[in-house]
Amino acid sequence: MLAPLAMSLLPKRPLHLPRLRTYVPEPSDPKIFWFNSERADILQDVVRRIMERYAADDSVEFVIGDAAYHEIRRLENRTDEAGRKGLEYWRGVIRRVGRMSSEGKIETLREISMRMAKDVAGNFDPRVYKFAARAVPGLLTGVMNPSRLMRSVLDSGTRLDELVSVEGPMEKLRSLQRKGTMLLLPTHSSNLDSLAIAWVLFREALAPVVYGAGKNLFTNPIISFFMHNLGAYRVDRRVRARLYKDVLKAYSSIMVERGFHSLFFPGGTRTRSGAIEQKLKLGLAGTGVEAFARNRARGVNRPVFFVPATINYALVLEAETLIEDHLKEAGRARYIIEDDEFSRVERWVAFFKRLQHAESSCVIRFGEPMDPFCNPVDDEGRSLAPDGRVLDPGSYVSRRGTATVDAARDAAYTRDLGHAIAKAYIKETVVMATQLVAHVLFRRLCRATPGLDLFARLRHRGDIAVPMDELVADVAQARDGLRKLELEGRVHLNAPIRKAAPEQIVSRALDAWAGYHQKPIARILGGSVIAEDPNLLLFYQNRIRHFAPEIAGPADMQAAIEIAAMKGVR
Amino acid sequence: MSPPVGIVGGGAFGRALATAAARVDRSVISWSRTPRDSEHPKITVSSDLGSLRAAELVFLAVPSPHVPALCHELGRHLDGAHLVVHVSRGLVGDELETLTEVIRETTPVRRVGALAGPLVARGLAEGEPGGGIVGTLFPEVAEAVRDALGGPTLRIYDTTDVIGVELASAFVGLVTLAMGYAKAAGFGPGTLSVLATRGMAEATRVIEARGGSARTCSGLAGFGDLLAAMAEDGRPELDFGRALAAGESLDRAAGRLGAYVEGVRIAEQILHFGARNQVQTPLAATMAGLMNGTLNKEQAAAALMRRPTRGE
Repeated sequence: MLAPLAMSLLPKRPLHLPRLRTYVPEPSDPKIFWFNSERADILQDVVRRIMERYAADDSVEFVIGDAAYHEIRRLENRTDEAGRKGLEYWRGVIRRVGRMSSEGKIETLREISMRMAKDVAGNFDPRVYKFAARAVPGLLTGVMNPSRLMRSVLDSGTRLDELVSVEGPMEKLRSLQRKGTMLLLPTHSSNLDSLAIAWVLFREALAPVVYGAGKNLFTNPIISFFMHNLGAYRVDRRVRARLYKDVLKAYSSIMVERGFHSLFFPGGTRTRSGAIEQKLKLGLAGTGVEAFARNRARGVNRPVFFVPATINYALVLEAETLIEDHLKEAGRARYIIEDDEFSRVERWVAFFKRLQHAESSCVIRFGEPMDPFCNPVDDEGRSLAPDGRVLDPGSYVSRRGTATVDAARDAAYTRDLGHAIAKAYIKETVVMATQLVAHVLFRRLCRATPGLDLFARLRHRGDIAVPMDELVADVAQARDGLRKLELEGRVHLNAPIRKAAPEQIVSRALDAWAGYHQKPIARILGGSVIAEDPNLLLFYQNRIRHFAPEIAGPADMQAAIEIAAMKGVR
Repeated sequence: MSPPVGIVGGGAFGRALATAAARVDRSVISWSRTPRDSEHPKITVSSDLGSLRAAELVFLAVPSPHVPALCHELGRHLDGAHLVVHVSRGLVGDELETLTEVIRETTPVRRVGALAGPLVARGLAEGEPGGGIVGTLFPEVAEAVRDALGGPTLRIYDTTDVIGVELASAFVGLVTLAMGYAKAAGFGPGTLSVLATRGMAEATRVIEARGGSARTCSGLAGFGDLLAAMAEDGRPELDFGRALAAGESLDRAAGRLGAYVEGVRIAEQILHFGARNQVQTPLAATMAGLMNGTLNKEQAAAALMRRPTRGE
């Protein structure tokens, strides 16, 4: 009861700490500590790049008109003061643009670009960073137990250490951060992702990163405070203007060019289906390729490293809303979900209460870093050919010895990178007990409903009962299949799954689900496990659907093939 | 001065590419495992893969089963500045891995492409008017292929649907084999037309399942190439199909024709891919059955004709 009350007392608008004394970064501080001193230059660079792109051709008026049209449409429905002022501004622009001289149009484009760049650009307050590093674990554990909130805030949480575990080449990543610019590319299944990864970077002595955060995230006051002060730049997906997208890309590229380590979610949005993202657009992450090429073209030899990472949860805070959205095929239409579990404090409390009883409830696994052209890199950050030879990554952006910036070529490299990251995601997935048990139950549902399509199957709520001994045997077989894949380096198992007896895996999954989701996913009745909520079973099992045929016994093979071939899972 | 064009493979098609490049005044380094004499003053023949380092664009003109091993070797001499384009109609493995994917995995080269369409060795060598299509994501690859081969007698189109080009091209091999069989078995034009059209419809299903565009099938890499094959442009799949209909064994037919036939392997590959990905592949199943001896002519025709018909 106290947690919602405490949360409701927090201000709705983002907070900034007063600037009583300017923080002077020390040489040992991470690059981002210099962000505020470079901020004005970065904004100027963004505007300069936009002007270079448009001022040379005849499209200035079109670009201004496009921005005004989209902004007026967006702001017409707003009733607040900021919305009204914005509408007034854009209507003024559209009225004047037809009568402007060429110089006037260029000046207006410059003004609009700066306005957009300022809206995008983040802020970094070292005081908030230092406070957050100490307090985030406490804040999270405080949310779990509001009566201990203050004590928890002051006490760096060892509990979180147990809940969030990290795997991967951490020493190598620490070394590469000193040699070039690192772009972290994690999977995205929850709004907790950025919080979890920020905490892990701090704990593992990795430098903080800048990242683009959807404006919808700023609705949660705690998250908003940290976002505003820890280098996050704002990405407003409701703004449709082409110019805004160009400003975002320019900003992102310039940050990478200047050596700011960055984080992107290449899936673009949280996976609605629960599946590991495979159709990656890369979006802003592609600016890493452009940034590398631009640096090379101007003679700057700063490597860029792409690091895929998977964030694996035993329970996903927003699972119910996400799968519902996926099944409505409204994933695109409702790109920005503002009313999910993330914005409901009571769900946070329930979520963390469940986590208190689970070991390694979240595993973040970092993959092997690669250069912008999908080549692996060694500990020194040198690009390696398949035969182990050291390569010059600059050769990829050169033609006949001259390094150039070429948007079409770099888009092609970005597409390749998307495939390489998607492959790495599968390989770096860490399978949790909830996913394994959900898969076995869902497979039983498919086996019991031959020939039905997905939606007909999902209507079988509570119809499928699997005797516990059969479920345990199926889980044992699937786990053995996954172990084999793990030995081949194709996937990873969460440590408890690798070690535990199959019956413990089943009970671990059932315990984790019990009492968290609003409806039971599965329950035990008379010695059998009843599949109560096929939607959520689908969500959790989707994480390992790629491996379905390889971990199925003969009786389940047809069902497994159908699961692996399910259409529309994203 | 433009860097030389590299060509890997001393078979008929590799030699024709070398001649076509030399005709537009490009220097050529032509690699083949067995030494041979040069056919043109602009062509340097070499059996050292390292000599291809001097080239910018390298064509790979070897049968698909040799590509992975050869690329491992070739990759030691190339880097990110090279452009590699293959001309094979084959695929690798049951996941239908394309050769551009193999090149990317086994070499450091990323700017890759696939040259396909109704390009025939004799026509290329003699400068007969014609055209082809290069599938690549990289504009400079298409440009380099045009610079190397395109002249007054050769039109090179391009597309970014690389996977579509490679799969359409592979399917043409399979459909051609089926057509050769059907012709020799005595079926008439109506039957051949349905077989070809539905065979290419099967190609579009597989292309889409692998993320390509169905549209590519109706272009030079698909129907364009199939028309050339049916006009008897001398490709071995047609003869191989005829030999199969005459009851000749696979090995014997292959030995007699003296050429590697890409279309033979892909029937099984497509069949397995279809089964795993729930894509219907009746032509691949039938051709695989004919080639492994589990179906005879009557059974094959019945298997195809008994399938339920639906909207096209």
